[in-house]
Amino acid sequence: MGHGDKGRPFKKFKAAAKFDDSRKGFVDDDNAYMGDDGYDDDGEKEGKAKDFSKLELKKDHANRPLWACGNGRIFLETFSPLYKQAYDFLIAIAEPVCRPESMHEYNLTPHSLYAAVSVGLETETIISVLNKLSKTMLPKEMIKFIQDSTANYGKVKLVLKKNRYFIESPFPEVLKTLLRDEVISRSRITSEGAAGDGFTISKTAGEIEGTHGELLNEAEVAAAAEEKETHSFEIDPSQVENVKQRCLPNALNYPMLEEYDFRNDTVNPDLDMELKPQAQPRPYQEKSLSKMFGNGRARSGIIVLPCGAGKSLVGVSAACRIKKSCLCLATNAVSVDQWAFQFKLWSTIRDENICRFTSDSKERFRGNAGVVVTTYNMVAFGGKRSEESEKIIEEIRNREWGLLLMDEVHVVPAHMFRKVISLTKSHCKLGLTATLVREDERITDLNFLIGPKLYEANWLDLVKGGFIANVQCAEVWCPMTKEFFAEYLKKENSKKRQALYVMNPNKFRACEFLIKYHETQRGDKIIVFADNLFALTEYAMKLRKPMIYGATSHVERTKILQAFKTSKDVNTIFLSKVGDNSIDIPEANVIIQISSHAGSRRQEAQRLGRILRAKGKLQDRMAGGKEEYNAFFYSLVSTDTQEMYYSTKRQQFLIDQGYSFKVITSFPPPGEEASLNYYHLEDQLALLGKVLSAGDDAVGLEQLDEDADDVALHNARRSAGSMSAMSGAKGMVYMEYSTGRNKGQAQMKSKPKDPSKRHVLFKRRYGS
Amino acid sequence: MPEVRIIAKNFMDMVASMPAMKLDNLYENGFICEAILRSLPPLAKKYVLQMLYIDAQVTAKSLEEWVLPDGTSKHRVAIDRLVQLRVFIETVDRKSEKSYKLNPTFQRSLQNLLIIGGTLPREPMPSNITVRLPTLEDLEAYALEQWERFLLRLISPNQVERPSNISSSLMKVFQRQLMIQRDKEAPRLTESGFQFLLMDTNAQLWYFIREYISNSEARGVDAAELISFLLELSFHVIGEAYNVNTLTDFQRNIIKDLADLGLVKLQQGRKESWFIPTKLATNLSVSLADSSCRKQGFVVVETNFRVYAYSTSKLHCEILRLFSSVEYQLPNLIVGGITKESLYNAFENGITAEQIISFLQQNAHPRVAERMPSVPENVTDQMRLWESDLNRVEMTEAYFYDEFPSRDAFEGACDCAREWNGLLWEDSKKMHMVVKMEVHPYVRDYLRRQK
Repeated sequence: MGHGDKGRPFKKFKAAAKFDDSRKGFVDDDNAYMGDDGYDDDGEKEGKAKDFSKLELKKDHANRPLWACGNGRIFLETFSPLYKQAYDFLIAIAEPVCRPESMHEYNLTPHSLYAAVSVGLETETIISVLNKLSKTMLPKEMIKFIQDSTANYGKVKLVLKKNRYFIESPFPEVLKTLLRDEVISRSRITSEGAAGDGFTISKTAGEIEGTHGELLNEAEVAAAAEEKETHSFEIDPSQVENVKQRCLPNALNYPMLEEYDFRNDTVNPDLDMELKPQAQPRPYQEKSLSKMFGNGRARSGIIVLPCGAGKSLVGVSAACRIKKSCLCLATNAVSVDQWAFQFKLWSTIRDENICRFTSDSKERFRGNAGVVVTTYNMVAFGGKRSEESEKIIEEIRNREWGLLLMDEVHVVPAHMFRKVISLTKSHCKLGLTATLVREDERITDLNFLIGPKLYEANWLDLVKGGFIANVQCAEVWCPMTKEFFAEYLKKENSKKRQALYVMNPNKFRACEFLIKYHETQRGDKIIVFADNLFALTEYAMKLRKPMIYGATSHVERTKILQAFKTSKDVNTIFLSKVGDNSIDIPEANVIIQISSHAGSRRQEAQRLGRILRAKGKLQDRMAGGKEEYNAFFYSLVSTDTQEMYYSTKRQQFLIDQGYSFKVITSFPPPGEEASLNYYHLEDQLALLGKVLSAGDDAVGLEQLDEDADDVALHNARRSAGSMSAMSGAKGMVYMEYSTGRNKGQAQMKSKPKDPSKRHVLFKRRYGS
Repeated sequence: MPEVRIIAKNFMDMVASMPAMKLDNLYENGFICEAILRSLPPLAKKYVLQMLYIDAQVTAKSLEEWVLPDGTSKHRVAIDRLVQLRVFIETVDRKSEKSYKLNPTFQRSLQNLLIIGGTLPREPMPSNITVRLPTLEDLEAYALEQWERFLLRLISPNQVERPSNISSSLMKVFQRQLMIQRDKEAPRLTESGFQFLLMDTNAQLWYFIREYISNSEARGVDAAELISFLLELSFHVIGEAYNVNTLTDFQRNIIKDLADLGLVKLQQGRKESWFIPTKLATNLSVSLADSSCRKQGFVVVETNFRVYAYSTSKLHCEILRLFSSVEYQLPNLIVGGITKESLYNAFENGITAEQIISFLQQNAHPRVAERMPSVPENVTDQMRLWESDLNRVEMTEAYFYDEFPSRDAFEGACDCAREWNGLLWEDSKKMHMVVKMEVHPYVRDYLRRQK
């Protein structure tokens, strides 16, 4: 097997270093991912099995579902009668490592315990329930770990009152401890109130401003109801994130809970919206909401549901429960439209109370409360805005939001979050995502920026319940043709390697065959993903299929998607990475991936998510139903190239969720060869020539990709010429781009406005 | 692929390979005849019963008429087997017509068995003498435990403290094909040893019994007597106690070894001592093909290449280590992962992907055993792909030539190598060529002659 394949399947990431420098850009996004992912300690485990065999087994161990190890690892049998209860409990206190069919693995971490405490679980409860479920006596180390980690949790709260942030605690000494920290003490606002009360800063009483007046008699306060004995001090709104970060387990270890007592909030006006009767949340949606509203208040945090499992209903339901103004942030204009639509679909909100704020539509709601749907970029944008949007932004900034609803939180980088969160004041933040790929820095950021993970659904359980499609995943091995492989190995082509393995004629033919098969034999709707723009256009043109990429205008995009949804003649569309997230294409049930962004596990999961929405009748989808598989995910890889290596890495997340990839080695099947393109050697050679001659401006090729995708998506934040630009991703995010017809959005960097000009990119490429 | 050298041969193959005299002696014993009868293929069984009361020769031709044309191959197998075991005596007349008749000893013994019924040389002891007999479950657990301890002692002698009856010289015999010891190093499993460990218990048992028997002569033990005792033992009832006093001195010696292997359990009463046959013993007369008595599986393999083994056995842990990396050991669970590296280790030791897969399938935990397939397809596929990856490059030992004095010499040498069908590569511009190692002497001679 070629060098590209050496790492299968769990090779450590270091292996990538052997690729030459030009690849560096390719992989940097994933360095973060690989962080200390569950599998990454493989290095030390060799020969050193962790031996917990001395743990004492309980007599009735067969009836109990789990084993707990001293190092925090937990194993759960899914066939235990107690599985459901155990799962709900574990997902609240631990991070899932992998969740295939029969045996799950979890890790207890300080973060996960923080999440447990914030949904209201107490230390003693955690230990006693865990002990009940465990087959063995709980290891002492684990009990100690839980106690140590949670001792301080739940003691400090962050409260937003009348547009001011306060840190509250029933324990004055805890607040004192916090104030000893430099960051926090600097962030503190010694309000006029405190000064006015005549307390000096040095005095304890002055430091901790109790809820007014009651400080005078501390004994009385202690006797009073719990809410009343809280002490608090105010902090600078712009420093909220820093303060929160200082309080996290890795620093002061007093993580703050954010709860919103929306029922008793009389200051902010109510918004009249209810869930429509036909909106019936599914059991797991109910469960995630119950974690959020467990104690009658709204908790901030993240809910993780697979794509297609109905995240938007959860979001809308949350907004309907809180019934206050809601700011909903999405990643791009298409998904803004979709969110607005979802709000109208599921709730009784009046049209005038909901508005979209994008570069194209600047609506404003009437009345004193409402829902605003916009993009991260519109809020975070720092440049000059048009007068109109300046006004709207001003309103957004000044309003005290009941709920900040954030879609696809995993794709937005921390600095953008920070900006958005510091700009907008909200009582409660709810993040939604499908793929909280864990342990990378960005996810840790999310922990304090938004809140702990409140709920995470198990993919396989949802598949079994028929809530999401049962996807057959396959990795199709396409051998490189001799000529392509010879070029691939040449040093001078190192920068064109990706183009070479993506344009491998065998891959093209496998792709063509799959499209034909699914279109004609099964009548399926197919999405083809390609990160490499050169390949995308080449494939789409050759096969005469419509395509959408970064620079496709909003109108054209909508038109193509509409045709794909309704027309019988449009059954296949080609998408660049713009299609990875949040474009809702419920009709599609087949994905063919011809090129991808290096080893990004998140991208793989997101793409799979495009076809997860359940199709057909419920009873057919349930286990044992008529159609075992009704959705198909093909990943085409050229063998012996580095694609093989990446492919393995990419699949890791899905494999951890219990998906399996079947390897298909002989495509297209014999007998079909002649009917497909590039059957003849001369055609293949012509294609090779094309790839190589595009090579005169090989760097140019990448730049073009960047221009097309990157400028449109990231406007000013282009990273200079790295290979990641070729895939367009580099962990970057879909930012707002104006469409061709923008008026007045001066800040949007100029980009081809006229469709004919835009296609110049392709013309030039084709001409060359 | 390395050939699977250890095949646990059927006990009856051993019987068949014994000299005619000894075989006839064996057939004096009705139980042996019954054991032989049981082990036969169905068609052969039928022939034996049909011929049981025929004293005349039956010609091969008339025998052939008993079966329909599409059964001919089975017919042939049955006849071959019967002749091998000397159950059928074959005679060829002057016209070279074959005819068959039952071995008279065999015939007589079987007839007696049918009419009079068989009596074992010993009866179970009455329960008022024997005390604290183990339950059947206990007995099975005991058998497996003994068996595993024996295996563990075999592959890593340091791990077992309890002494055993089996002499170290006999142990050496068992280890002969399974372990290799280079000077001063700790003994290491050989290819066959690895393969052996992946076989199921019955197959392993057969292997040892075979070694045990074939080594018997060297220990001054009569093989026929040994076989006859083992077969006899297989007709005892599991869980019943039999008095040791009923055994001959020879048998009493053997029974201690068998206890070490877990075939019988020895117990000592106040006055008497007795042995209790276990499942392992009674399985001996069952032919390998229908080893239905499989122990419960314990392994769960997940689609993410994780392996969970419900086991407390050190042996299982050692076995899993052969092809996976063991990550966690819990009181009753072993957790490991199959990785490319761990598999390559296994391949290097001569284990094949097929063997690992069949081990995983045979030992599948009941939870997953009914699932089809019991080991996820993507895992088995991947294992086979990794294995076939290793075979993509074929190594040929070769010899490289350069600096030819002249183009003629170069071309001549090329032709010469070509004639021997050993020219692997040539570069006529640079006058380089590569020939197969075995052709090198011819080419060298050719070049010498040219000088």
